[in-house]
Amino acid sequence: MLAPGSTARRALGSDQVAGWLFVAPAVVLIGIFGLVPIGWSAIMSFQANDLVSAPSWVGLANYQALARDPVFMASVRHTLVYTVLFVPLSVAGSLLVAWALNRKLRGVRFYRLAVFVPVVTSTVATGIIFMWLLDPVFGLVNYFLSLVGLPEQGFLQDTNQALVCIVFMTVWGWLGFDVIIYLAALQGIPQELMEAAQIDGAGKWSSFRNVVLPFLRPATLFLIVWSTISALQLFDEIYVTTRGGPLGSTTVIVYYLYQQAFQFFNAGYGAAIAYVLFLAILLITIIQLKVGGRSVYGKA
Amino acid sequence: MESGTLIRADRPLDLEAVPERRPRRWPFSPWHFFLIPLALMMLMPLIWSLVTSLETASEAQRFPPVLIPSALHFSNYVDAWNALPFGHFFLNSFLYSLATVAGNLLFCSLAAYAFARLRFIGGNLLFVLLLVTLMVPFQVVLIPTFLIVRNLGLIDSVGGLIVPNLCAVFGIFLLRQFFQSLPVELEEAARIDGASRLGVFFKIVLPLSAPVLATLAIIQFMWSWNDFLWPLIIITTPERSPLQLGLSMFQGAHVTQWNLLMAGTVMSQIPMLAVFLLAQRWFIQSIAYTGIKQ
Amino acid sequence: MRRKSIGIVGLLALVLAVMALTAGCGSSGGDTSATSGAGPTGVVNITMWHGDIDYAKTAVDALVAEWNQANPNIQVTALYNGGSDFALQKTLTAIAGGKPPDITYLFGSWMANIVKSPKVVLLNDLIESDPSVDWEDFWPTERLAATVDGKIVGIPALVDNLALVYNKKLFDQAGLDYPTAEWTWDDFRAAAKALTDPARKQFGWAYPADGSEDTVWHWEAMLWEAGGDILTPDNTKAAFNSPAGVQALTMLGDMATIDKSIYLDITNTKTSSVFNAGRIGMLVTGPWDLPSFPNVDVGIQIMPAFVNHQTISGPDNWVILNNGPARVQASWEFIKWFTAAQQNLTYNLAVGALPLRESETKLPEYQEYLDKYPGIDTFVENMNNAVKARPTVPQYSKISEALGQAIVSVLLGKADAQTALDEAAAKTDAILAVPVP
Repeated sequence: MLAPGSTARRALGSDQVAGWLFVAPAVVLIGIFGLVPIGWSAIMSFQANDLVSAPSWVGLANYQALARDPVFMASVRHTLVYTVLFVPLSVAGSLLVAWALNRKLRGVRFYRLAVFVPVVTSTVATGIIFMWLLDPVFGLVNYFLSLVGLPEQGFLQDTNQALVCIVFMTVWGWLGFDVIIYLAALQGIPQELMEAAQIDGAGKWSSFRNVVLPFLRPATLFLIVWSTISALQLFDEIYVTTRGGPLGSTTVIVYYLYQQAFQFFNAGYGAAIAYVLFLAILLITIIQLKVGGRSVYGKA
Repeated sequence: MESGTLIRADRPLDLEAVPERRPRRWPFSPWHFFLIPLALMMLMPLIWSLVTSLETASEAQRFPPVLIPSALHFSNYVDAWNALPFGHFFLNSFLYSLATVAGNLLFCSLAAYAFARLRFIGGNLLFVLLLVTLMVPFQVVLIPTFLIVRNLGLIDSVGGLIVPNLCAVFGIFLLRQFFQSLPVELEEAARIDGASRLGVFFKIVLPLSAPVLATLAIIQFMWSWNDFLWPLIIITTPERSPLQLGLSMFQGAHVTQWNLLMAGTVMSQIPMLAVFLLAQRWFIQSIAYTGIKQ
Repeated sequence: MRRKSIGIVGLLALVLAVMALTAGCGSSGGDTSATSGAGPTGVVNITMWHGDIDYAKTAVDALVAEWNQANPNIQVTALYNGGSDFALQKTLTAIAGGKPPDITYLFGSWMANIVKSPKVVLLNDLIESDPSVDWEDFWPTERLAATVDGKIVGIPALVDNLALVYNKKLFDQAGLDYPTAEWTWDDFRAAAKALTDPARKQFGWAYPADGSEDTVWHWEAMLWEAGGDILTPDNTKAAFNSPAGVQALTMLGDMATIDKSIYLDITNTKTSSVFNAGRIGMLVTGPWDLPSFPNVDVGIQIMPAFVNHQTISGPDNWVILNNGPARVQASWEFIKWFTAAQQNLTYNLAVGALPLRESETKLPEYQEYLDKYPGIDTFVENMNNAVKARPTVPQYSKISEALGQAIVSVLLGKADAQTALDEAAAKTDAILAVPVP
């Protein structure tokens, strides 16, 4: 038992030093490579900078131009559409898959591995593979569609379908990651609760809804927040496949940022885009956390 | 009923111990109708790239796609290896991945422990501030980070790849959640016995955390192994490129040899898959590991 | 709580302080002091970045070794730059990082951007004072592409042009006569239609439809063939939405949407593979593509005409960067030798690229070159049709983006040629109206 007072006071006092010492390396590293660049990019957003000659100050001009930029507005739309499709699909889909994998079945280990394989496949490889699979003329997917008598699709060539194709490609690529987290959470459901529910005569669906789902709230909130943050920052998959096309229909915010900064040499404008996105993500995440409760952080 | 924590520390995780709803075990459950197509969908692109990597260049382009090549052209792997400095690519990727894993394991765990157990002024605020950096797309910090790395003289070096990635907030977040779920009595007992905080950390907390540390290691390894954008910006000399950047060199200005590209891709994925296979037990178990029963 | 607020302020102050420190370091100009060139033994070491892999790299290495043998006081290291698509970014990064190469390979379209860098050595004086470089020997379009506002930014490294490459077997199967030098675009269209067979997934033509410069420059050749121009002579306004432009784009659009005889490569990664698989009748492409078609018996012809048979060329350049007078001089000596007729012909013999200099066609080994690459003589003669070059203005990449979107929208049937070109012209005029620092 703790001796009241003395140990606690001693702990409190030197916790200060120990605490800061323990976090020091992390703070230095993340400070330099995380916080400083955030501040720096704020400064850059008030400059005109072409990465070749010296930058010049332009005040709010970049932000004003952003507000009038139809391509930027379109990229915001595309990003939001993507996020609204991606997050529910991947969170709900991974829950379903985790539920399926959380049982004794023949070969369940193989299925778990299969589900995780896309996560370790690099984006470059995924992009190449999907570009061939979805080719309107020579791709496998259209081939199978034609075999079963369905009409062939334009996929990445169709301005109305390209973004949806990217949604499927990214859900495919990240499902395993979410599944792992749900699997772990599912392990924690106390046996007694499931049994109690069954004794009460609850059917499978209702015990799922009333016992399992509430128990998974913290994991679900974590995944929703994490998926939203990732979705709003979509870039890699666009870069290796459509490059923002066709006709800009898959240009998302971060891709537009990359074009401005590294293709058109408008680095200051790119920084302004980045800062606007950052503030938006911050806002959205705060809202999600407040609405979802503080269950993400756990009872400390 | 626990509703707050993601992690439960009082029940040993056993993936095989599923609540038995039926007295019998079916050899084939209806779930297989769902899982088999799912597994196929997940694995198909990998299978396709494997098959393509063993075809000749003209077979790789045939339509309908050739699913069973006429012969297994393992020479593609040799050709791919020789076409580009793969030896360097692998070495650079290993250096990059192992160094970032080591850094993350050390620095993230130290910081996470402080956030989980130690009370110090500014602690909560600092944690939130660190979380904020998670919300920043990499492209925001790309240019300033590049400029900082330049000022440190690390451009076009593997060091320039490693140093900015030595401590990821994801790791701090994950480990903090985990440490909080450990029973605190163990640590308190050790403190009473006169152990220093560092001692408690190294002798008690870390050993108990082996599985979650393994998880972090695997995730960080994967992120470094598959990193493309940062090396693209930083590395200019091909011999210093890590794997994904190196692979992109197969996509020439006008010509792409698909069978060689797939061979290179498969080669680059093998270590990753091997690591996952070996560590699958720990990885899946880790997030809900047990404490010692009271 | 008061304690927490001190924490906030303290942290912010810390961040701002670090920012101020590093910002101060960062905004000072990018160039470092010029490193002295000659080592203690008087040997000057220079590095050259190129984009060649495979057998092309072997050819470069052989030439460099030959130079190093004969010139012990100037030693050259040739490095593969990781892919020329990123060469500009890499070069700018290297300049900013303080370790630039001496000679770097850059696309012609980047000349107007790189000229602004203080690290670039302008070649006007060197060329004037050193007639051994024989500047006029380079094809006119190369010299045009290397010059920005009268400043010569680089020395030609590679030249190409677009011509018609066709699959003889598919023509035979369709019972068509091979393309002639008198072909018009109507002839081309008719042939493409006859070669298209949806049941066999076969197309008459393939076109890069990703909206990139690849999409644009193919069409620009057609624009010139219709007698049009990209910009007005003073480079202040768009000129491509003229009747000539509309005619060229309408032809492209009709073939894509009405005849459906074009395979649209939206990702611009598949055309070569598909042509090599025997699914495409004709391509408009350059000599670099020929090694990708081992399975096809190809014929080569000049591009068809609207009113002329002009073609477009995409010369790339070697740019010399200033690492001190000794290294600049050494780089000049080396690159003069490397791009001289004899050495360039040796390279072209190994690689199948086109002669940089007209005088190469008079060398004894030239016949060997023609024999090794059947049909390449068409490409070489086609250099005489490359009379225009793309405008060397720094905003070209943005103009190209606008044009690319216009062309793709017509290819996908979303707009008609006049509307699309007018829209792109409006964007172009706005882009050109912004004053450049």
